Amino acid sequence: MSNRRSARADLATGAVLFALSIAIVYSAWSMDRLEARGIHPLSAPGLLPGILGLALAFCSVLLIVQALRGLRTASFLPEHPGSSGGGLDEDNPGAGFRLVSAAAICLVYALGLIGRMPYWLATALFVTFFIAFFEWESGASLSRRAIRLAWAMSLGLATALAVSYAFRELFLVRLP
Amino acid sequence: MQGLQLFFDALWTLLSWQTLFNTAWAVLLGIIVGALPGLTATMGVALLTTLTYKMAPDQAILTLICMYVGAIYGGSRTAILLNIPGTPASAASTLDGYPLARAGRAGEAMGIATTSSAIGTLIGTLALAALAPLLATVALDFHSYEFFWLAVFGVIISGQLTATSHPLKGYIAGILGLLVAMVGMEGIHAHVRFTLGLRELNGGIGLIPAMVGAFGFAEVLNVMYLKRAEIVRNTVDRVVPRFADIWRYKITALRSGVIGTFIGIIPGVGEDIGAWASYAAARRASKTPEEFGKGSIDGLTAAETGDNAVVPGALIPTLTLAVPGSAPAAVLIAALFIHGVRPGPMIMIEQPMFVYSIVAMLCFATIGILVFGLALTRPLLYVLRIPRERLMPIVFVLCVIGPFALTQRMFDVWVMLFFGIAGFLLRRMDYPMAPLVLGIILGDLMVKNLRRGLILRDGDLSPFFVRPISLVFCLLVVATVLLSIGPVRNKAGALGRRIWSITQSSGTR
Repeated sequence: MSNRRSARADLATGAVLFALSIAIVYSAWSMDRLEARGIHPLSAPGLLPGILGLALAFCSVLLIVQALRGLRTASFLPEHPGSSGGGLDEDNPGAGFRLVSAAAICLVYALGLIGRMPYWLATALFVTFFIAFFEWESGASLSRRAIRLAWAMSLGLATALAVSYAFRELFLVRLP
Repeated sequence: MQGLQLFFDALWTLLSWQTLFNTAWAVLLGIIVGALPGLTATMGVALLTTLTYKMAPDQAILTLICMYVGAIYGGSRTAILLNIPGTPASAASTLDGYPLARAGRAGEAMGIATTSSAIGTLIGTLALAALAPLLATVALDFHSYEFFWLAVFGVIISGQLTATSHPLKGYIAGILGLLVAMVGMEGIHAHVRFTLGLRELNGGIGLIPAMVGAFGFAEVLNVMYLKRAEIVRNTVDRVVPRFADIWRYKITALRSGVIGTFIGIIPGVGEDIGAWASYAAARRASKTPEEFGKGSIDGLTAAETGDNAVVPGALIPTLTLAVPGSAPAAVLIAALFIHGVRPGPMIMIEQPMFVYSIVAMLCFATIGILVFGLALTRPLLYVLRIPRERLMPIVFVLCVIGPFALTQRMFDVWVMLFFGIAGFLLRRMDYPMAPLVLGIILGDLMVKNLRRGLILRDGDLSPFFVRPISLVFCLLVVATVLLSIGPVRNKAGALGRRIWSITQSSGTR
């Protein structure tokens, strides 16, 4: 990441962490202190979470201060071509697309397919689609695409059957 | 003498065809996991924990140890041939391993990496056998106050040493881990905290789903995000190193083994730091430091011995204090509990042979990496050619079914997904994962001992600061935090140099 982009990310993270720490400190403070049970006030359940919340608040303030300093320093420096686009993305074309696609396919499998159809079928569909999606070559010949798809389907089916068998028959797990 | 007797008893008990079979496949699987970019030792141990919970305890722990040792060693293959570390532990090995491969000496580099890894593991294993009983005896004097400070020290030192950009991010990761451990029913008054009304959170957040997410799913995303690595085109030359070559670097190997073991004992620091520290020490001591980074065998020996020595070193606090020395060791703690072993100071009293069983398991694993590392060079080259697009969906399938298999709850799959996405984002912003994991493990230890200590002395804080071991830990924590502040570190350095020069000049007079 470029310095400016990193500083911006730190600033945003610092703000989120500060808000989180305030919520934690408030929850810890308002947590039941169990006076009715006659316990020592220093053994109240909210004690350590409260201290950790304060520590997180302190660290997030430091992070914000550092990020602001970083932004100020970066504004004095000339913006060179590699710094605005985010470093890694520049020499790694399609990284963002690959990331979002992979995350989406994984989430659809874990949250959408599992539990709504037999486990082996969900797994076979997921593995096949994942491989086919990322190995798809738009300019390739039809036969090459067919071979790739056949590979993806056989790998998907093999994975699904192997994992299902191992967990259901060997580890005696009730599959989702 | 009694230790040696216990070791041979453990070795004899463990020695069977089943042990040899489990050692063989687990070490091989570990080497493959370590060699494949994107699959780490922590992920391997976490996923294998979910696959071994039906096995007999000794065999399950043996396979996990073999996976751990194999994966840390396996990372060197990728470092040498692809110039990217297979696991973070092998990052230092890329500096000299890859130039050697480019120069047509890939086989020699892999051979040296194999023997150095075996030597490192053996040095660490000897230290484990010698130091674990001593540390367990010392730890028997630990009370609530000392355990509280130990937990604080673990998180702080891990945050300090594993952060790549700034220790502040390491501290934040550690605090977040501790806060994760605060979720659910607390252990003293059974009060439910931070569950947001979700009944599934009453028992807290499971370590295995969190680890599988942070090291498994996050890695899947990371690998898909990064550029594809190109394997070096090379004819593999002689792999088995000559004894004279190994003997020539004996001092480097010994030094790196000791450094790696020491780094392993420090809570939550891990193999990568062990490799870097050993590499830096070897460079400082070398007569030809200019060769480092250009294909130095000395440098490769240091890095590989250092990171592998961390493995047994990390098991020393894991077994005797229940404080993990590295991220994979944190998963091992969870696995030990699953298999009915209670790590901690009482281990040498309750199960004295267990520590020596671990020593025997490490010896088996060392033989495994030597045999497979030297014999299977060419087949392992094919493993490196597996496209990520075919490997990652299979890894994700295991990431989903593994946590589910442990508790039969879809909720744990959601936890895995949450930690995967959060872990990926945090890693992209240079937050280290080791302190986060250590925080999750040590949170319970910290909260119970703080409150227990306060109850015992009716709210009196003084025992936390005046008991000798507590005071040492407290000073270490304060010093670690202060030294992470730039101006303080600079002034302390200047003061140290001044004192050193005064001492030197008075000595010469």
